[in-house]
Amino acid sequence: MDLYGSKERFDIFPEEPSGRGDRSLGDTRRESALSSEKVQCPQEVGYDLEKEVAELAKMYGLDEDREKELELLGGHLEKVESRWSPAHTEKAGSQDSIYNISKSSSSVRDSSQSTKQQGLPDEASQGENQSKARADDEAESSIWSRGGLSSGGVSDEWNSQAVSEEEEEEEEEEAEAADVFCSTCKIPIRAFDKLFGDHKDHEVAQLPSAVESEKEEIHKNMCKLEEQIAQMENVASHLEEIFITVEENFGRQEQNFEVHYNDAVQVLAQKYEEQLEALGEEKRQKLEALYEQLVSCGKHLDTCKELTDETQELFLENDKAEFMKVKSFNCPKFLKQEVDLELSTLPDFEERVIDVSEVEQLMNSINAIPAPCAPVINPQAPNAATGTSLRVCWGLFSDDTVECYQLCYQPVSNERHSDGQAEHTLKVKETYCTITDLLPNTQYEFWVSALNASGISPPSERAVYVTAPSPPTIKNKKIRSCENAALVCWESRDINPVDSYTVELSKLTDEENDDFITESIVGIPNCEVLIHLQPTQKYHICVRAQNLGGSSERSEPVLIHTTGTCFYLNEDTAHPLLAILDDGFTISCDELENPECDLPVYDNSFTRCIAILGSLIPFPGKHYWEVEVTEDTEYRIGVAFENTPRHGHLGANNSSWCMRHIITPSRHKYEFLHSGMTPDIRITVPPRRIGILLDYENCRLSFFNADIAQHLHTFNSHFQHYVHPCFALETPGILRIHTGITTPPWTALP
Amino acid sequence: MALKQISSNKCFEGFQKVFEHDSAELKCKMKFGIYLPPKAETGKCPVLYWLSGLTCTEQNFITKAAFQQAAAQHGLIVVAPDTSPRGCNIEGEDESWDFGTGAGFYVDATEDPWKTNYRMYSYIKDELPKLINANFPTDPERMSIFGHSMGGHGALILALKNPGKYKSVSAFAPICNPIQCQWGKKALGGYLGPDASKWEAYDATQLVKSYSGARLDILIDQGKDDQFLSAGQLLPDNFIAACTERKIPVVFRLQQGYDHSYYFIASFINDHIKHHAKYLNA
Repeated sequence: MDLYGSKERFDIFPEEPSGRGDRSLGDTRRESALSSEKVQCPQEVGYDLEKEVAELAKMYGLDEDREKELELLGGHLEKVESRWSPAHTEKAGSQDSIYNISKSSSSVRDSSQSTKQQGLPDEASQGENQSKARADDEAESSIWSRGGLSSGGVSDEWNSQAVSEEEEEEEEEEAEAADVFCSTCKIPIRAFDKLFGDHKDHEVAQLPSAVESEKEEIHKNMCKLEEQIAQMENVASHLEEIFITVEENFGRQEQNFEVHYNDAVQVLAQKYEEQLEALGEEKRQKLEALYEQLVSCGKHLDTCKELTDETQELFLENDKAEFMKVKSFNCPKFLKQEVDLELSTLPDFEERVIDVSEVEQLMNSINAIPAPCAPVINPQAPNAATGTSLRVCWGLFSDDTVECYQLCYQPVSNERHSDGQAEHTLKVKETYCTITDLLPNTQYEFWVSALNASGISPPSERAVYVTAPSPPTIKNKKIRSCENAALVCWESRDINPVDSYTVELSKLTDEENDDFITESIVGIPNCEVLIHLQPTQKYHICVRAQNLGGSSERSEPVLIHTTGTCFYLNEDTAHPLLAILDDGFTISCDELENPECDLPVYDNSFTRCIAILGSLIPFPGKHYWEVEVTEDTEYRIGVAFENTPRHGHLGANNSSWCMRHIITPSRHKYEFLHSGMTPDIRITVPPRRIGILLDYENCRLSFFNADIAQHLHTFNSHFQHYVHPCFALETPGILRIHTGITTPPWTALP
Repeated sequence: MALKQISSNKCFEGFQKVFEHDSAELKCKMKFGIYLPPKAETGKCPVLYWLSGLTCTEQNFITKAAFQQAAAQHGLIVVAPDTSPRGCNIEGEDESWDFGTGAGFYVDATEDPWKTNYRMYSYIKDELPKLINANFPTDPERMSIFGHSMGGHGALILALKNPGKYKSVSAFAPICNPIQCQWGKKALGGYLGPDASKWEAYDATQLVKSYSGARLDILIDQGKDDQFLSAGQLLPDNFIAACTERKIPVVFRLQQGYDHSYYFIASFINDHIKHHAKYLNA
């Protein structure tokens, strides 16, 4: 017995451990390949299914124009059939059933054609002979095509037509024979059958009316069928959608499985390798130990043998003394030595704890989903904002499963220390959210994270959105207008600047559609715009402020009548003693000198002449306004340049033109002053209402007694700049200014 | 009432013409100037009558006043008659420049030997408009009147004595109160007799005091350096005072440096044409 040979006996596995590992890995791969093949199998099945669904969809006319489909229904179904036959020759049964469908649908077509004929009976009867002749030909061709020759769509249609007309022909033949309809037997009969034949007691109807009612019935059925077709189409398309969804979802899951199982397999393989290695090591150690024991056993055996031999020799020794000498031989000593017969190692291998927790985890995680990736937040879309709300949108980069999103936002602030500024967080199911209760025209920073059961994604990039501005406020009292234009100004209600303003104007008509926007002026950078209008109209004007986020709500509208020129009084030019009454257009002066002399004086106000300027009249063309005066009031009224000296008298310089009224002891004196000069004019009727016509184009400033249309005086002066109306009181009294007056026709000529 | 064309000259696309006719009122041949604006070729136009001053014929105004452009622009027919009957062989008619020929004073004379021919008031008021309306494309409803000096007096009294007949009236340096001035006293005394109360019927200042009727808008231009103003022949202040009292609207413009001549008239003729056009074309 060879001790070394016995080693082979322990060698249970025929190859080296490492080689075995490789092979087993290969096996696993093969297996996994096999499994993936198995996975592919359902896919193939799925593909087949898909194909079938597609075919079904086609059959129900999902892909093509429905009307056309209806018309070609018979032919098309035949087409479907012919397409199916080579592919599914073995499916004879289904083919047959479809063939049946095609037949029935061609009969549907027949009825529809007969309905058509019903609609046009005259024409039908006229073309009857012709169609009969044609039907003969076509019947032949239909037989020819039914003989199994594959044919295109056109000829298919042709066929069905032919079939229908063939049947018509039959009907007609029957009609020739029968003239009444037996309602009981549901067949057409000859009239005398009713009288004498089997149908004697049966209820009969005239054939045409019977046909009518029957056709009506058929028509109803047709409608029902059409409804059903539509319904089925809907269902089919819905199914198709579901089909796609299922496919997508399962595909994703497959991928997921593949990834996870691959991981698990890898981990297992690794474990296996580790175990094998450990096992081999143990085996080696055990074998070595056993071998040592074996060797020592052998040695012991040898010693025993020697001792036995020596003893036997000793036995043969006759010399008793010699014998006794040797008696103390080392045999007893040797025997005293204990022979270790215990097995140094156990043949069975140690219990090993196999750690499969990792695999378990992996296996468990197969059905779990990974935490999503960071979503991508969209930049602000135009017009997605109002003054107080923003619509924020984002998307996912990957196909991650997301349960909800966590949207955070905070106002953008230039001051860094305001980090503690309210940061809001919202949970949102959709990939968009409308946030309300925001401040107008304010920038907000948004970021979003996706959440699912496995965790939360990192946040998206931060996107800055801006809310739309607040509606501006039109300065009602600062509106200037004339027959052809208006100058509107407004102020922003926001602290932050806006990009531009839009002015919307609607012409008011007597009709109801009041708020019809007739014009919009966009991209106005300032808070002021000159609008061209039509004379003698009413306009509603509103303003919107615009920024990146969108446009504000409309401002409160202002009403503008383009009846005449409107201006307002510049209070800051008023002499301290001059008061503007509540209506804004009546100026008064109670006393000429103030004993206290501590009245506030603006930089821009008149200091000497108790005067005030109206606002600039910035429109070319003609402008007319009136001033109501009393006979005993001394005044100066006219126009002046912006820079007319505030310390001087109106008309005393070359920057103002005015009519002056003075009361002398003998009479009313009227002066028409410019540069201190006046023509010598006597006016017999003191005007109470003075009309002033400013005509930039014709370089003319005229004064009228408006009550009697009397021309008083005209300055002919080319105004280099636009002018302001001006008014001054030289004695206590009041002047009442009237604006928005249509220029009277009599002002055209002096 | 046959018209005889004496002359015709194209002027500002219209025509300045002179006609002669036999006047039934004045019992002599009378001439008048008429400007037909281009508009008269296609439609009816209002007529503006011009009454000239002492010594003038129909020629002075049409040759010196330079009114045609404005008249063409506003589409007005402007008729300028002579200032008195001529060639009536009345004793003393040519003796002085301020009485008789060239000084009809737009009155209907009641005294011999003038009362047969010197009926300028009726001639201007009735015969001439009839003649014009019969022979030219006029709108009889729209007429106005203006004049210079004695013609200004004529224009004022015709407007004041016939409320509503004239749409408007204006005057250059008119004799406003003839009963108070030398010219007036001589002429009115001569034509109407010594009874001064009869003169008042032809005195603008007197007529204003009793005027009632259609509203008038009177425009008067007066040269400040007019020798007859300072001579007290024109007396506009009296007229203005009367108008002020009666609230008759007048714009009286005292034009610095101008005298009584046609240069003065030409300087302001456009204002007057516009003044009339405003009412005639309203």
